[in-house]
Amino acid sequence: MLLHRRIYQFFIIYLMGVALLLLLKYSLNLSDYVIPSLIDIWHTGIDVFVRYFSDVMNTLSVAVVGQIVSLLLAFLIGITGRQATWFGSFIKVAAYNVQAYPIVAIAPIIFILLGDGIATRLLIAAMICYFPLLLSVLGIMAEPITEIEHFYKVTGRMRWQLEIKIRAFENLNKLTTVIAGSATLAMAGTIVAEFIAANAGIGYSIRVALYQSDLAKILIALFLIGMTLSVYQGLLEATGYAVRKGWARI
Amino acid sequence: MKGILKNKSIRRTMILTLTLMLVWPNFVEPAAAKEPATYRLKWLFNASVVGDLYADVHNLFAAKGLDVTVKEGGPERDAIRELEMGRAQFGVASADQVIRALDKGAAVVVIAQLFQINPLQWIYRPEKFRIDRLEDLKGKKLGVTFGGNDETILRTLLAKAGITEKDVTLFSVRYDYTPFYKHKVNFWPVYRNTQAIILSEKLRKEGEPVAFFNPAEFGVRFVANSVITSPRMIQEHPATVRNFTEALMLGWTQALDFNNHPKAIKTLQRFDKDTPVHILDQQLNETRKLIQPTPGFKVGTIDVAAWKQTEKIMLDQKQISTPVFVEKVLKSYIPY
Amino acid sequence: MRFSCRDITFKYPDASNYVFKNLSFELTEPGFNALFGPSGVGKTSFAKIITGEIKEFSGEISTDSMKILLYSYNLERLPGWSSVGKHLEKIIPLSQKSKKDELVEAFGLKEFIGARFSQLSLGQQNRVNLIRYLLQDFQMLIMDESLANVDELTREKILLKIKDMFPQTFFLYISHNVIEVSKFCKQILVLRSAGKIPQVITVEGENYSTLQQVDKQKLEQTMLEVMNASS
Repeated sequence: MLLHRRIYQFFIIYLMGVALLLLLKYSLNLSDYVIPSLIDIWHTGIDVFVRYFSDVMNTLSVAVVGQIVSLLLAFLIGITGRQATWFGSFIKVAAYNVQAYPIVAIAPIIFILLGDGIATRLLIAAMICYFPLLLSVLGIMAEPITEIEHFYKVTGRMRWQLEIKIRAFENLNKLTTVIAGSATLAMAGTIVAEFIAANAGIGYSIRVALYQSDLAKILIALFLIGMTLSVYQGLLEATGYAVRKGWARI
Repeated sequence: MKGILKNKSIRRTMILTLTLMLVWPNFVEPAAAKEPATYRLKWLFNASVVGDLYADVHNLFAAKGLDVTVKEGGPERDAIRELEMGRAQFGVASADQVIRALDKGAAVVVIAQLFQINPLQWIYRPEKFRIDRLEDLKGKKLGVTFGGNDETILRTLLAKAGITEKDVTLFSVRYDYTPFYKHKVNFWPVYRNTQAIILSEKLRKEGEPVAFFNPAEFGVRFVANSVITSPRMIQEHPATVRNFTEALMLGWTQALDFNNHPKAIKTLQRFDKDTPVHILDQQLNETRKLIQPTPGFKVGTIDVAAWKQTEKIMLDQKQISTPVFVEKVLKSYIPY
Repeated sequence: MRFSCRDITFKYPDASNYVFKNLSFELTEPGFNALFGPSGVGKTSFAKIITGEIKEFSGEISTDSMKILLYSYNLERLPGWSSVGKHLEKIIPLSQKSKKDELVEAFGLKEFIGARFSQLSLGQQNRVNLIRYLLQDFQMLIMDESLANVDELTREKILLKIKDMFPQTFFLYISHNVIEVSKFCKQILVLRSAGKIPQVITVEGENYSTLQQVDKQKLEQTMLEVMNASS
C-alpha cells in the first residue's frame, strides 16, 4: 500500500540524515553541543515526544484547515477565472508575483494585522499552499477537453457545472497529485508562520529549541513532522486513489 | 544499499567526501606572516560590537601581527559550534550558551567578559507604576521571549520574589512592539543599548516617558556576551590568544573612551548604515555604561561570581542537568 | 429543403494560402451524401464552415429551412464517470428510446452498453458516438470519419440502417473509402485543392439502400468518376 511505503521511505531518508550527522560527529570528534549523540537524541525524544507530538498535531490541524481553505479558494477563482481571459491572466500574474515575495517578509505584516493567534497561522499556511494550487486548478479549468465537450456544445447541452466536471474528471490524476503535494506546502507554511508569528505548534517549539541551541530537539521535531506529513500525504493519496477508482473505475 | 556500495565511482566519491570532511578543519591553520584568525560575533553589526569593529578598522589586530576577519553573527550563528568545527578561532557567546555547551561536553574557554551588566532589560512606562520591589511585578502583563534568555531571567526574578505564574500574565514577544505601544503589555524585553534607544525615542515623541527594569538591580546577574576560544587554541597558540585579547581589549577601551567618541561613531557608521547618527550616539553612550560601568574600569574583566550565579540559575531551572563548574573555563587573558 | 454554398472563400488567419476559393455547390434534396477528397484538402474546415463553427469566411451558405446542423467526428469521447448506457439515457430524449434500442442493436453494441467508454475498442467508441448524434434534433449531420476502425461488414449494415431510419435528413459523410461513398451515397461532393477550378465536383452516387442487388459495372463507373474528379 502507498501509505506504508511512504512511511518506510521517510524512515530511510531520516535515518540516512541522522547517520550522516553522526558520521560527521564521530569522524570529526565533535561534542554533543554541535551534534547530539544517539543517546542524547533518544533521551530528548522520550522527554519531548508527547509534547512535540501534540504540537505537530496542532500544526497539522491548522495546515489541514489552511489547505482546505486554499483548495476552496483555488477552485472558486480557478473556475470563475477560467474563461475571462483578462481576469485569468491577471490572477496568474498576481499569483506569480505574490509567490515571489518571501513569506518571512510578509509574515510580520500579517502578524501586526491579525495578532499571533490561529488566524495568522492559517493565513500564512493558506498563502503558501494556495498559489500553486490555484495555478494548477486554473490551468486545468482553462484547458478545454474538446473531444468530449464538442457534443455538449453543439447540441446546446453545455452547462458550466458539466464543463467543470468534465475537466476535473479528465485531470483527476493531476488534481489528486497536486492536492497531495500541497499538503507539504500547507505544513511548511504553518511551521514558518509558527516560527515567526505564533505561540503554539511545532514551528514555535522549534524556535524555542533553537534559542537553546538544542539540536536534539530539532531532530525529534523533524522526525515527527516528516512522519506526520508522510502519513497525511499517504492518506491523501489513498483517498485520491479511492476517488479515482470509484469515479472512473481505473 | 549493498548494490550502491559496490559501485566503484560512488564509493570513491564517498571516500573523497569523507576525507575532505576530515581534513577540512586543518586548512584554516595559520600559515602566512600575519597570522590569520576568524572572529565570529554573536549578533549583527551594531553598537553592541563597537569595540570589535574598532579594533579591526583601526588595525589594532594587525599591530599585534594578526589578520583577523570579524564576521557578523545572527540568529542561526553559533560561535561555539564554529570553534569546534574549526571555522573560527575566536567568538562571542552569551553565558547561557557557554554553560549549555559545557553541559553537552563542548570544549570552550572564556577569555574575556564584555558586558558587565546584561543589556537585556525590560522597558515600561513609569507614569503608570513603579518597580521598587520585585513584588511590584504582581498583576502585571510581562513580555517574554519563550525559550530566550529573558524567560530564564524573568522566571528567576519571579521565583526570587515568590511570585507564581498565576500572579502575572506572561505575554509571548515578537519582533514587533505593537502590543507594547498599544498598552496591551506593561513590560517589554529590549536590549538596553540598542533597540531600547530607538523605542524610547519613539515613545518620547508621543509624550510618554520610559523607564527600564534592570534585573541586576534586584540581585539577578545573568552574564551576557563574552569572548571565547577553544582550549586547543590556548594550548597550541597561546601567543595568538594573548595578542588577540590584548588587541581586542585595546579596541574596546579606545572605542569607549570619550575622547574617541567621534572616531567610534565613524567606525559604527561604516557597518551600521541604517541607524541615524544621533541614535548611534546614544547607543554608544549606553553601551559604555554596560561594558565600562565606572571610569577606568578594566574592560573585559570576568565577573566569576556572576558566572556562578548564571550557572546556578540554569541548574535551578533545569536548563542543564548537572553542574558544569563554569569557573573552570573562565581564563582571563586581559592584559591588565 | 435544399442546401447550397456559393463562392465560399476562406483562409486561416496568418496563413498565406487559401483553403477555399469561390467554392460553390448545391444539394437539392435530403439524403445520404458524401464529402470526398484527399487528406488536407479542407474537409473538416469545410464542415466547420457549414455548421457555423468557423465564421470568418466570405460567400453565402443557404440552409433553407434547416436550423440545426451538427458536426461529429471520430475522435470524440464520452465522459468516463458512468457507463455508456447511462450516458445515452441522459442525452437522448425519452421519445427516442425505442430508436435508441434499435440503433444499439443494429450497431452491434448491445452487450457493451454497461461498459465505460474507455473500455470499448476504437470502432465501438465511434459507433456509440454516432448513435448519440443520430438521436439529437437536427436537419443535417456531418459525419467526419465517423465509422473509422469499424469493420467493413458492420459499416455497411450501419450505413444502410441510417439511410433506412432517416430518409428525410441531410447527411454529409466524410470518408476516404471510394467504394463506400460510391456505393451508398446519393451525391458525392468531391473537394479539390484550392487552385483547381471548380473546387467541388458533384458526382452522382449509386445510393444503394436495403435489399438491392449491386450493379458492379455501374459502381465501377461511379468510382472512376470520383477518382477522376479528385485527381
